[in-house]
Amino acid sequence: MVRVENLYKSFDGKTVLNNITAEFSQGQTNLIIGKSGSGKTVLLKSIVGLHEVDSGRIFYGERDFTGMSSRERKLLRREIGMVFQGGALFDSLTVAENVRFPLDMFTTQTATEKQKRIDFCLDRVNIARDVQRLSPAEISGGMQKRVAIARAIVLNPPYLFCDEPNSGLDPETAKVIDTLIYGITTEFNITTIVNTHDMNSVMEIGDKILFISEGQVEWTGNKTEILYAGNRKLQEFVFANHQYRQLRDDKRSGI
Amino acid sequence: MTFLAHTGRYFALLGKVFSRPERLRMYTAKLFTEIESLGVNSVGLVMILSSFIGAIITLQLSYNLVNPLIPRYLVGLANRDTLILEFSCTIMAMIMTGKIGSNIASELGTMRVTEQIDSLEIMGVNSACYLIMPKITAVIFVFPFLYILSVFCGLVGGLIVGPAMGAISAADYLGGIRYLFVPRFVYLSAFKSLFFGFLVSSVPAYFGYYVEGGAFEVGAASTRAVINTNILVLVLDLILTQILF
Repeated sequence: MVRVENLYKSFDGKTVLNNITAEFSQGQTNLIIGKSGSGKTVLLKSIVGLHEVDSGRIFYGERDFTGMSSRERKLLRREIGMVFQGGALFDSLTVAENVRFPLDMFTTQTATEKQKRIDFCLDRVNIARDVQRLSPAEISGGMQKRVAIARAIVLNPPYLFCDEPNSGLDPETAKVIDTLIYGITTEFNITTIVNTHDMNSVMEIGDKILFISEGQVEWTGNKTEILYAGNRKLQEFVFANHQYRQLRDDKRSGI
Repeated sequence: MTFLAHTGRYFALLGKVFSRPERLRMYTAKLFTEIESLGVNSVGLVMILSSFIGAIITLQLSYNLVNPLIPRYLVGLANRDTLILEFSCTIMAMIMTGKIGSNIASELGTMRVTEQIDSLEIMGVNSACYLIMPKITAVIFVFPFLYILSVFCGLVGGLIVGPAMGAISAADYLGGIRYLFVPRFVYLSAFKSLFFGFLVSSVPAYFGYYVEGGAFEVGAASTRAVINTNILVLVLDLILTQILF
């Protein structure tokens, strides 16, 4: 479980996070949604410590992340897997080397054990064995995201963060990524926080949803409740796509 | 940002760079990769530039030192001292800034804007130490070798081109490069090159590591890195020359 309390963050005097309080549950896909520029990425990066918050507290379980020394934070970060918007795979390494990197850095496993783990993780994200020797530049965007997920879970982290995992992907590939994140979350019972503005993802995997607008929490709920929420800003966000207005109307009329 | 702010952040970065590595074996492996990428791959450029400069200095001196009171062997002596004292350490460091420095700045800058550095931080890796320390160590390690290579190639360049063009005899040239030779100058210049190696790697690393934005900013950071490093090399050269010689 990850909990944030009264988070404030500003850049050059402009408030980006304004008193954010939320709880993200274990074994569920927790989504942070909102329009571009609403503060989603800043919130996610603040939770993992890539941005220092101005005030407020962040808890991993019962551990206060904001009160930790840099050494303690480094240790805690080994429990975190993160999938960045662009994948952030290391260009100079092959697919297999990317996934092996955390194993090389933080474990004392033998080469065989490492290879078994790499195979398991890449199989789990449906990456074929012959792709392992390719460099990130030689594979598609969807595959890069899947490799990034494999790298993020290779150390069995209890926390998984995904920043816009579907950006730049076609709807079909995006659904594959969503299903993968959802599957991994339930299978390994981890706390997953996904940052997205993709309504398809919301309806696909939104166990718990936090809607933020202009740096403030506007609404919390789940994928069933979101269609009937009374919040005007949320309605504008959700029903910007007419497909979901239709879906709500159909559900209301029992179709 | 002000000059003082940059200076403070540069030293803070060096503090992060020279901290205890998480897994020494990984850093050692990276060190050898960097020695190859930044050092061994620069050998060709150093050889070509030094040979031509040595040859050109020899020709220029031969054509311009035409006073009968000036012995011909002074051409070899002047070429040798130019190479040993300044060209092969200082000027070569400035040239290497264009190759190695811009490479380091753009590589780190691209890693920053594509979130690869953030990715390392999230894993719990000290990204500054992992990415920058092997580069600095590699460049400091190879610079004295490149210096010696540069001096040798420059002297050979003069030896080949001078007599071939009829500008000076091989005997005069060889006599000149042996005349009043002070080995201490070679040691001191090689020592100077260690400091230049540190600047040529650490200053561009600073500019690359803190890039914000996209491709345009990476290019701009690379340019700033080269300009600032070259100025710092000259300033340090002035200081070291005053102290050491």
